[in-house]
This record gives sequence, structure tokens and C-alpha cells, in this order.
Amino acid sequence: MTLQLCVMAPDQVVWDGPIEQAILPTTTGQMGVLQGHTPLVTALDIGVMMARTTTGWEAVVLMGGFGLVKDDRITLLVNEAELGSSVEPEQATTDFEEAKTTLADATTRKERVEANLAFKRARARYQAVTQA
Amino acid sequence: MSFAAKHLSAARSNALAGSSHVCAPRRAPVNSRTSRGDQQVVCESLKDLRDRIGSIKNTKKITDAMKLVAAAKVRRAQTAVQNGRPFSENLVKVMYGVNQRLRVEDVDIPLTEARPVKSVLLVCCTGDRGLCGGFNNAVIKATEDRKAELEGMGIRCKVLTVGKKGSTYFGKRVGDDDLVAAMDMGQAPTTKEAQAVADQVFAEFVSEEVDKVELIFTKFVSLISSKPILQSLLPLSPAGEVCDVEGNCLDANEDELFRLTTVDGKMAVERDEVITETAEFDASLLFEQDPVQILDALLPLYLNSQVLRSLQESLASELAARMQAMNNASDNAKELGKKVSGKYQRQRQAKITTELIELTAGAGSV
Repeated sequence: MTLQLCVMAPDQVVWDGPIEQAILPTTTGQMGVLQGHTPLVTALDIGVMMARTTTGWEAVVLMGGFGLVKDDRITLLVNEAELGSSVEPEQATTDFEEAKTTLADATTRKERVEANLAFKRARARYQAVTQA
Repeated sequence: MSFAAKHLSAARSNALAGSSHVCAPRRAPVNSRTSRGDQQVVCESLKDLRDRIGSIKNTKKITDAMKLVAAAKVRRAQTAVQNGRPFSENLVKVMYGVNQRLRVEDVDIPLTEARPVKSVLLVCCTGDRGLCGGFNNAVIKATEDRKAELEGMGIRCKVLTVGKKGSTYFGKRVGDDDLVAAMDMGQAPTTKEAQAVADQVFAEFVSEEVDKVELIFTKFVSLISSKPILQSLLPLSPAGEVCDVEGNCLDANEDELFRLTTVDGKMAVERDEVITETAEFDASLLFEQDPVQILDALLPLYLNSQVLRSLQESLASELAARMQAMNNASDNAKELGKKVSGKYQRQRQAKITTELIELTAGAGSV
């Protein structure tokens, strides 16, 4: 009763191993994947992926990308990925608060686009430490 | 490295200046054909020569060390590129599949939006340090040429520099409004750096500050050859990718959009691999979202990996150029050392001979 999960960032493979279940942050909401899932392609939002291994749930921060599910193999290609266990809780919290104020203060269109991206990333890291 | 570089320039000026200011009046007329060694010998004393030999030897040690350091780093840069391969291969695979379905549809997403070009963002990738031959100059010159060309057509140019050398150059010459950002190349570009560049580019383009983004970086051809190339980054053309996967993308102004491979001339091999893999893409695959939405998620990813690859390639070229430059410097130092020590030996022998003659003459006259 296992799935193979492979999380790839442009410069490294972040996760390559068996899991029991995964919850992916797709752009249209969270999606659970179990063994025997129908093959599909999905876009991933900036958010937290939860993976259930034999020992428990693990959080992985994903910075947007897409996922491919096929033959009990989940391949996620993301801009950037970080294991939840390697995120520092205090740092994530302060970053999140900072990003929130930056977004609120943004005035020009360019600033808003940038601040929004930064906010989403900070929120994902924050969620990873609070959920885990 | 900067320590070594400082010593190098000090040693270099020692070695090359030598005692030339003392000899200046008797120096042979400056001729581009005569080598530096020939110009300075006329009145150098034995001690001057000994000093010069010493400093040439030291310079050679430093250039040798820098060469080795660069060689080690080239290897690391190549590994970094190789680590990124599984990612880009998979990316192309999925992109190919998505594109097949989108071929007929009219795609409208921000990154592919082609607008009438009124302003262009030039992303210039140089190195952080010098002592690497003409590497930085070549990129800067290519950027300047392109800038002049565009401005000649009445298009406004903005510049984003990556690498200290380019930042210093354009920092002085481009107004604050037109210099979008100046970043450092760093020792090993990672996704974080690429992301920072891609974010800037993305924000500039999506907010319609610029209508086109072009990337100027040095393509890594081989360890002894690399050339600055111009690649348009945005707007991405969804048709362009398919074209490239099939290996027959012909662009009008030699600009290499959507290249698949990276280093050490393995282009053909890589491309073949990609083609076999794309053939496996399952047509029965379910699309969780609208294909357009998936493409929307895919293209920023593609943008990032393009930027990352350009940075990596630029760094690999810089290191290779430095390796080459240092190799030449070591060779020159070796040759110069040989010449100067030859002169030293001759002069020493001449001195001994003169002394002997004087002694025998003196003994004879007693």
C-alpha cells in the first residue's frame, strides 16, 4: 500500500521515497492522493504538501509548480521546495508578519505583484510549521 | 581568491616594472614586437634580476593556484547543471503533453502575452570578479551593442544586471529609473538567486513596465570556448516549446528560445533522450484543472529554470575563462622566468669572467 513520491526543484531532488498518502495544494484546492489514483496532471499553488509516511505526517513547503500522478508515482516539479522540518518556526513567523505588512503597504502595480508572491511564500512556510 | 588576486596584481607590477624606471633612458625604443623582457635588461644589476626572478616565480605560483581553484569550481558547476537535468527533462515532457492539447486553443495567459514593444528589459549576466580574460567585457559589450541597437529604434531600454562587474559598469552609465536591479552572481547560483531574478523579470513584465525581456549571458560551449548570446525570455511563446522539443525551432534573429540542453557539447545526445521520453507521455492523462491553468503554473516554472540554467552556464563559462586566462598567465610567467634567469646567468658569468681577467692581469703585472 505505497506510493512513490518524487519532489524535484530545479537544482535538486528534495524527496524521493515511498509514502502512504499525499495531500497536494493544487490551485483549485487541496487534493488527496492514495494508491491506485487515476493518472492526472495538476497545477500546484504555493502551499504546503502533507505526506503520510509509515512514521507519520510530514510537511513539505512547495513554491508553486505542477504535479503528475501516474502508475502510483507522484512526480512534483516545483520552483522551490523545503522540508517542513527544516523551517525555523520563529523565522517563519516574523517573515509572515513582515510580508503581511508589505502587502498592505504596496501601492504600485509592480509592488503589489511582488508583495503578493512574497506573502504567499511566507504564508506557506508559516503554515508548514503551524500544521506540523 | 581576492587575496590571491591582490597579491597577483602587486607581484605583477613588481615583476613587470622591475627596475625599468632606472633604465628608462637606455631602454630600447618601444616596439610592439619586442617582448617585455628585452626592453628592460640593459642596465639591470644582478640583484634586480634576482628580485625579478623571485617575483615572477611567486606570480606563477599564484596563477597556478588560481587555475586549480577555477578547475575545481568548473567541475562543481557542471555537477550543479547535471543535478538539474531530471527536473528539466520532466518539465519538457509535461509541457510537450500540455501543448499538444493546447495547440488548437487560443491561449491567453500573462507570460505569453505579446504586446507592441515600447520598452525592453535587458538582463545582463556577468561574473563577480575579474582576472578571467575577456569574459566580462564580452558580455558587457554585447549588452551595450544591443542597447544601442534598440535605442536606435526608439525603444526604451531597462537593464538588470547579475554579477558585480556588470553592476559596476551599468551602475555608472544607466539612470536609476532604468536600472531595475543589480544582483550578485555568487559562488554557485541556486534556485533562490534564479527566483530573485525571475521575480523581478516577472513583475516588470506583468506590470507592463516592459514589453519584452531579453537575456544576455555567456553560453558554455567547451572549456576553451564560450560566447555571449542573446536569448529572448519573455513573452514565452507556447508554440515555441513544441517547436523546440521536435528540434526544428527556427528563430529569425538567431535567438535561441527554449534550448533544452546545457553544457559540454552534449546537445544532440540530450535532445534525443528528450524525444524518446516525450513519446511516453500518456494521452489518457486527466487534467485536474483547465489546461490553460496548468500551463499558467508551468510557464513560470519554465522561466525560473531558464534563468537558473543561464546563470549556471554563465558561471561555468566564467570559471572556464578564468582557468584559461590563468593557464596563459602561468605559461607566460614560465617563459618570462626562463628568459630572465638566462640573462641572470649570463650576466653572472660575465661578471666572474671579468673578475678572473682582472685577477690574472693583476697577477701578471706583479
